[in-house]
Amino acid sequence: MTTPAARTTPIAEATGPTEPRAPMELSDLSVMIGGQGGDGTLTVSDLLGRYFRKQGLYVYTSRNVLSRIRGGHADASVRASHDPVAAVKSQVDVLVAFDNEAVEMGRAELENHGFIIYDSTTFHSDLPNSAGFPFATLVGGPLGQPIFKNTAAYGALSVLLGFDVESTRSVIQERFKRRGGEALEKNLKALEIGRHAALEAAGVPNRFSVVSGDAHDQILTTGNQAVALGFVVGGGRFFAGYPITPATEIMEYLQRYLPAFDGVVRQAEDELAAINMVIGASYAGARVMTSTSGPGLSLMTEGIGHAATAEIPIVVADCQRVGPSTGQPTRNEQSDLSHLANLGHGEYPRFIIAPSTPVDCFELTVDALNLAERWRVPVILLLDQALCQNTSTSARFDLSKAHLDRGKRLTPEAVAALQQYKVYELTEDGVSAVAPPGTPGVWSEVTGNEHDEWGHVSVNPANRVRMMKKRMEKMVKARNDLPPSRLFGPPDAKIGFIGFGGTSGPIVEAMQLLHARGVPTRYLQARTLYPVPAHELEPFLQSVDVAYVVEHNYTGQFARLVRETLPWHHAKLRSILKYDGYTFRAPQIVAEVKEVA
Amino acid sequence: MVQSAKPVSPIWCPGCGDFGVLAAVKRAAAELKIPTHELVLVGGIGCSGSIHNFLEINGIHALHGRLLAQAVGVKLANPGLTVIAAGGDGDGYAIGMGHFIHAFKKNASILYIVMNNETYGLTKGQASPTSQIGFEGNVEPPFHSILTALSIPAPNFIARTFSGDPKTMTAILAEAIRFNREGRGFAFVEDLSPCVTYNDTYKLWREKVLDVSKVPDYDPTDRKKMFRICLETTEQGRIPIGVMHRPKEAGRDGLETKLVGERKGPVRTDISLASNLEAYQKLLAGLS
Repeated sequence: MTTPAARTTPIAEATGPTEPRAPMELSDLSVMIGGQGGDGTLTVSDLLGRYFRKQGLYVYTSRNVLSRIRGGHADASVRASHDPVAAVKSQVDVLVAFDNEAVEMGRAELENHGFIIYDSTTFHSDLPNSAGFPFATLVGGPLGQPIFKNTAAYGALSVLLGFDVESTRSVIQERFKRRGGEALEKNLKALEIGRHAALEAAGVPNRFSVVSGDAHDQILTTGNQAVALGFVVGGGRFFAGYPITPATEIMEYLQRYLPAFDGVVRQAEDELAAINMVIGASYAGARVMTSTSGPGLSLMTEGIGHAATAEIPIVVADCQRVGPSTGQPTRNEQSDLSHLANLGHGEYPRFIIAPSTPVDCFELTVDALNLAERWRVPVILLLDQALCQNTSTSARFDLSKAHLDRGKRLTPEAVAALQQYKVYELTEDGVSAVAPPGTPGVWSEVTGNEHDEWGHVSVNPANRVRMMKKRMEKMVKARNDLPPSRLFGPPDAKIGFIGFGGTSGPIVEAMQLLHARGVPTRYLQARTLYPVPAHELEPFLQSVDVAYVVEHNYTGQFARLVRETLPWHHAKLRSILKYDGYTFRAPQIVAEVKEVA
Repeated sequence: MVQSAKPVSPIWCPGCGDFGVLAAVKRAAAELKIPTHELVLVGGIGCSGSIHNFLEINGIHALHGRLLAQAVGVKLANPGLTVIAAGGDGDGYAIGMGHFIHAFKKNASILYIVMNNETYGLTKGQASPTSQIGFEGNVEPPFHSILTALSIPAPNFIARTFSGDPKTMTAILAEAIRFNREGRGFAFVEDLSPCVTYNDTYKLWREKVLDVSKVPDYDPTDRKKMFRICLETTEQGRIPIGVMHRPKEAGRDGLETKLVGERKGPVRTDISLASNLEAYQKLLAGLS
């Protein structure tokens, strides 16, 4: 690598209009930061996210990284908006590039007014509306290492976007205070180096200004963090998992949170062990969860069927990524649904619930723990990579809404009043009262073999029928207990959307775009996917002329489930599908709505 | 007295080696005066894994090969329970091998009994990981659980018993359970349990077993020495039995001690919102 000497390299190479002009005000902007893995693109995105949040803006950040520790193209984008957003913006206002590849990849998405800031240490760009700064060289001299180039780039951005200097600095302090001392000091210096370079560059200072917003009581979080917190608050105290992208952070957060609450987190030798450890812990009476993604889910399938038949409550968070096989570990997809709906050999009940925002992730994780214990059924928390790992502003999680319901769990006092303790006793709702092992005076047999009420292995045909009905009918009996769908848009709109999970943000934004064009639409966001919420889909489908089911998969998996459940609405259902690993941008959904001329 | 599940009659063939284990587990539990409600037996899949059905105990029938993962989950969730995992050689050394190796490393204070009959009895006599060369066309050398166990440097209790010697077996199982109840870690006991139908080895094994405690130099705290003794006796065509490893230090090295210790742990801790509210508020306030 050639490192031009700082003295001979012009500090700024700016092209574009040079005469002073009023800043262009942005109320919904997107900054894309690209470079090689290890260039620190995620740090810049994190710093920007923190700054915008301080300004009361809604923030949504996404990342596009490869499954490797260093190297390879990586980019991140930060969207900040005066109004709530939960999707990536389709166009980029500012591109920050650490190499020419990032320029080439990002320029296609650049707005007409877009501007590029790039690190000119190793390359030069002739593109208009761009400014090159040798960030690596500028910081490399005084700070001894080029790695602070990302913070310098943040400094230059702060000038371009007309940031408040004090808030710009405090974000650095906030971000690096934990590492403290030298790291903090050097980053503050790098910030100043970047700022000063940009201040001297024609056409850069205050080229844009960003409105401030009123979303001050928001937090910046990810779906994975929200799930981990929901697990703690929901009384989850045993977690076992195996590292897998994009689920790993759930385990990592819980390793941080759970010990203080007397909980145990284990990293298992594989997903087979993880699922069976949580089954064992749940049998012993703990509230449990494991998290995984496609390949791990395949291995856990055996255990989930066992838990359902043995009626041991478990929660499995499936952070979907591109499959099958190793697929694309860092990319987004919603393609596990068909597998989950038909999960495993044999037939057994399962609830699949799908949150769409961090608040949803928090609340539905608590719900999932309650549902699992109340019905003694495996609950799948269906997430997708974008929801799991993208950061967004979110309302604070509300503890007053949380409640714990341990179902028919028997206390030692209740046990003492029993005549007999049948662990699989046949009941009206199909749920048997259970006392965890260690409860004085009683013991039981629990098994994945077909069994009678005592838990003894049984091949009696009449018993088999009774036990199948006991388990399977839970899916019908639990219907009103499962998380309800959400409806958006005017009830009389004739064009409908159906979606779940991470597509909700882009769908809601697409509705706004359509509304602006005079096209009213409504949206049913399913939060229980299985059993299919026919009671909610039926009136919705009756109300519309056409319903677009928006999903990140090839075959239209949810659309197929809806068709199968409500075949008489077949003609109204259309699919909008995307399976390239990237999330929907709202205009892409709008473009698929055929009724819009 | 509440009526709980009653044991059913064993499904085993008359003379099965597993009867010896059933009797020894009963006697050891009685000897240690463990209340029934505190005893958990996690069974594997196969003839031997059905043992929990024949005992008055909290029984849980795991998936094939996954009994150790479930047993560790039970123990970590509620360290107050006495947890035994029991299954066969196919269950433990074939489909469950990954969990087997890791169980030594994890060192949770549970007892794992493998009833080794060198065949898959329940599916009618196929070769298993411990089958001798030539058995049912087997061409792979038998897996040696004891040498494998000794090769993993963890403070485990390791022993091998023989169903033809129930008295020694009871003593060893009682020692292993006591070891667990003292929180000292994982106890592994392989029982040589002949399958009278598909691999009747009573006579052969009676001739070949060699009580390692009779070997000069016997010292179960010395891993290196015991590895040599077990390897040499095996090479001489004998089957070493007895206690192969007993950690020198009587430390509470069990995984559950490290993770839960004197605290209540996942099952017994109070998870109600009311009693955790302040801590939850603090946790959520940390988000910015």
